[in-house]
Amino acid sequence: MTDRRDTVGISGAGRFGTALAAVLVRAGRHVVLYSHDAAIVEAIRSTRRNPRLPAAELPAALEVTSDPRRLASAARFVVLAVTSTSVRERARALGEVLDGSHIVVHAVGALAQPSNERVSQVMEQGLPTLKLGAIAGPALPDDLVDEHSASIVVASVFDEVTSEGRRLLNAPPVLRVYGSRDLVGVELASALSGAYTVALGISDGLGVGPGPRAALITRAVAESSRLGVAAGAQAQTFAGLAGLGNLLVRASDRSADYLLGCRLAERAVIAEAAWPEGARALHAGVVLADQLGVRVPVLRGVAEVLAGRVQPTALSNLIGDTVADAE
Amino acid sequence: MGSDRPVREAENRLERFNTDRERLLAEVERRVVARKVVDGHAGGDASLEYVLNDVAYCEIRRLEATNGKSGAIERWRDLSRRLLAMTEADKQEALRALVRHYGRDVVGNFDPRVYRFVTGVAPSLLGFVFSPVGSLREGVQAISNLDARIHADGEIAVARTCAERGTIIVTPTHSSNMDSLAIGLGLLRAGLPPTTYGAGKNLFTNPFISYFMRNLGAYRVDRRLKFELYKDVLKEYSTVLLEHGYHSLFFPGGTRCRSNVIEKNLKLGLLGTSVTAYKNAVRDGAPHKRLYIVPVTINYRLVLEAETLIDDYLAETGKHRYIITDDEFSRIGRLLEFFRKIVAHEGSVIVRFGRPLDPFGNEVTDEGESIDRQGRVVDPASFVRGADGEVSDDDQRDAEYTRALGRRLAAAYPRLTAFHATHLVARVVYDAIARSAGTRDIYRLIRVPPPKLTADIDTVVEQLGRLRARLAETPAWGAEHPMLVSQAATEIVDDAVRGLSTYHTRPIVSRHDHWLRVDDVKLLYYYQNRTAHVPTERT
Repeated sequence: MTDRRDTVGISGAGRFGTALAAVLVRAGRHVVLYSHDAAIVEAIRSTRRNPRLPAAELPAALEVTSDPRRLASAARFVVLAVTSTSVRERARALGEVLDGSHIVVHAVGALAQPSNERVSQVMEQGLPTLKLGAIAGPALPDDLVDEHSASIVVASVFDEVTSEGRRLLNAPPVLRVYGSRDLVGVELASALSGAYTVALGISDGLGVGPGPRAALITRAVAESSRLGVAAGAQAQTFAGLAGLGNLLVRASDRSADYLLGCRLAERAVIAEAAWPEGARALHAGVVLADQLGVRVPVLRGVAEVLAGRVQPTALSNLIGDTVADAE
Repeated sequence: MGSDRPVREAENRLERFNTDRERLLAEVERRVVARKVVDGHAGGDASLEYVLNDVAYCEIRRLEATNGKSGAIERWRDLSRRLLAMTEADKQEALRALVRHYGRDVVGNFDPRVYRFVTGVAPSLLGFVFSPVGSLREGVQAISNLDARIHADGEIAVARTCAERGTIIVTPTHSSNMDSLAIGLGLLRAGLPPTTYGAGKNLFTNPFISYFMRNLGAYRVDRRLKFELYKDVLKEYSTVLLEHGYHSLFFPGGTRCRSNVIEKNLKLGLLGTSVTAYKNAVRDGAPHKRLYIVPVTINYRLVLEAETLIDDYLAETGKHRYIITDDEFSRIGRLLEFFRKIVAHEGSVIVRFGRPLDPFGNEVTDEGESIDRQGRVVDPASFVRGADGEVSDDDQRDAEYTRALGRRLAAAYPRLTAFHATHLVARVVYDAIARSAGTRDIYRLIRVPPPKLTADIDTVVEQLGRLRARLAETPAWGAEHPMLVSQAATEIVDDAVRGLSTYHTRPIVSRHDHWLRVDDVKLLYYYQNRTAHVPTERT
C-alpha cells in the first residue's frame, strides 16, 4: 500500500485533472482521481478512458473514486481541478472530508465566479485547512497527454505546500514544476492572462502583424504587473509561467478566450452567457483596477469592444490614446 | 453586564505560580540552551560564539548609549574578549548563565494578598475613577454599582467556558497605559480569571503601578534588548506559561496605538507562542489541552495620554520614538490630576470580549470546539500533524498560522468597537471642518487658521444622526455605547463637548452660540480616528 505522503489526490475529472493524473501515474506516482460524477468514474474504470478527454488512454494503476472519503484518507496532497463556476461548491463539499493537515492546491486559471474573488480566497471559506496554494502555467491537457514538455508553477505562502507540490507533481521530462511564494500574483497573473488572450485574439483576427502583436503582449505584461503589484503581488510573477507563459499558450486556436477575441474582430456580438473565463476576468480586472486606482488601458479597451461600445478596429487607438510615458 | 458565574476563585491558576516559578524557569533554560546548542552546530550566525558576541555587543551599545555603569560595560567587554579562547563547554556554560539571567529578569510574581486587595478594594477606587458621574455625590452612589464604571460585555460566557476548558490568551487593543488596569478589572467584571502578561519595563517606572504589576503576575519585557537570545527567552517563557495552563494576556498591537485608529498591523511575536504551546501539548499526547485567543477591545471615552500620543504620531520623529518614558502615565502628579478630572468630568470604559479563536484563527463554538468557516467542527490538532499523523515541526508554517490568526484578530476588532459620544461627535465635527477646508489631511488642517475650524451645531446634530444610522446598519464597523442608544443626538453632542472641552489640559472643542469651535485639531483627529475604518459618507 502506497504511503499517504506519496499519494496525489485529484478532485475533478475534467480534461486537466485527468491529463495530470495520467502523467503522474506514468511517472510512478500513486494517484487517486475523484469525481462526484459516478458515471464518469464508472466510464474510466470500465474503459480506461475519460469521455471528457477521450484521446488519452489512462494507466491501469490510476485509482478512480466517487467517494470523497477515499480521496481524503488516501492523500494528504490534493489538487482541486474544477471550473471557476463550480469551485465554491466543490471546495465546500471537499471540506466535509478534509482536515487541517491536508494541503490543497487549485488548478483554476480564472477568478471564482460569480464573485470574482481569487480562488484561494474561496477555498479559504470552504475548506478547513489553511495550507492552500495554486498551480498555473502553460500546461495544456493535450500537451500532457501527448507527453510534450510542459511547465507549471506551484504557489503558496506555505513553504510546505510549494515543496510538497514540487516533490509530488514534478514528472520530468513531461512536467516540470517550479515554486513561488507569490500566491496572489500567480492567481491574478493566471486569471488575467485569459483576459489578455481575448485582446490577442482580436489583434490576430484583425491581422495587425507581428510588430503591434509584440507590443500588445509587452503592454499586457506591464499592465498586469502594475495591477498585480497594487493588489499585493510581485511584478516578476506576471512575466513568468502563470502570466506571460499562460498568455502565449492560450493565444492558440485551442483556447476559448482566443477564439472569442477572433470572433470579436469579426464584429460578432457575444452574449454574456457565452463568455469564457477570460472575458469574465476582463471585467473583474477593470473593477479591481478601479478599486486600486490603476491605469489599465488594454483591459479597458477590450472591455469596451466586448460590450459592443467600440469597434475592434478602434481598439488600438483607444489603447494608444492613453499610453503612458513609460510602459 | 455583570457576571453570575464568577470563576476567579476556583480557577485562579496564578495562585500556584510562585510554587511553579523555579520549575518554569528551569524549563525555559533547558529548552533555550538545548535549541541554541543544536542550532550552533550549523555554525555561522547560529554558532554559540556569534550568539554570545551578539548579546555582548548589544548590551555594550545599550549601556554606552544610556551612560550605564562602567563595571557592567567592562564585564560584557570581557565576555567578548574571552570568546575566542573559550571551549565549547565554556560557551555552553556562558549561554546557560545568560539565559538564566534574562529569565530571572523577565519572570513575574504573584502575591495572592495583593490580588485580594486589588480585587476587593481597588475596583471600587479604580471603578470610581472611570465612572460616568456628574458629581461627587453621584459618584459615591456609583460605587455601589460596579457595573456602571467598568463595563464588560460581549461573548463573556464563551470566554468563561474556554477558560474552564483550556487556557485563554486575552488579546486587547492597546490605547493607554491604563489598559493593564482596565483589562484586569474587565476580567474581574466578566468573571474571568486573572492572567499573567508581559508589560514593558518602562511601565515599572511608576512605583505605585509597578508594585501592583510586579505582584499580579506581570512579567517584564525590556524592549531595549534587541538581540535574538532575549527574544528567545521571552518567547519560551510565554510558551512554557501557556503549556502549564497559565492564562495570559498579550497586546498584539505591541505598543500603545499612537493615532487611536483600531489596530490592523499586529505584532505577532508572542502571539506565535500559542501555536508552539499547543503543538507541544499535542506532541505530549494532550491535544485536549486547548488554547484560546480572546479578542478584546478596551474602549475609553477619553484617553489619559492622548496629547502625548497624537503629538508623537504626528511628529516627524514619532516613527523613531518607540518607547515613551516621559508621558502623562509616568508622572504621578499628572496621573492624580487625571484621576481628579475624570471624577469631576466623567469617564467610562467598555471592555468588550469577542468570540474566542483557536491558535489557527478558527472560531469556536459555545463549548469551545474549533469550527471552520462553514461552521463544521475541526480538530485543531490536525493543523500541526503531518501525513503520518505525527506532529511535525515547521517554523515557517507556524509563522503563517500566526499571521492567519493575526488577520482574524484584526478583523474582529472593528466589530467589537464601542463608540463613546466623544468618538462620534469628534468624527462628525472633523468631517465638517474637512468639508469646509476641502481636505481630510491632518497636516493641512493643522495649518488652517482657528477661526475657520468651526461647525454649525445643527449640522453636527444632523450628521450625527446619519452616522448613528449607518453604524446601526453595519455591525461590522462596531456599535455605539449601549448608554447612548436611548439618547437624542443633541444630548450626545452636549455630553461629548463637555468631555472634550474639560478633560485634557487644553480644550478640544468649545461651544459658541450655534457653533462648535475646534480648539485643538490634533486631539480632535485623535478621537475621530476611532471611527477611521468607517468610510466617509458619499454625498
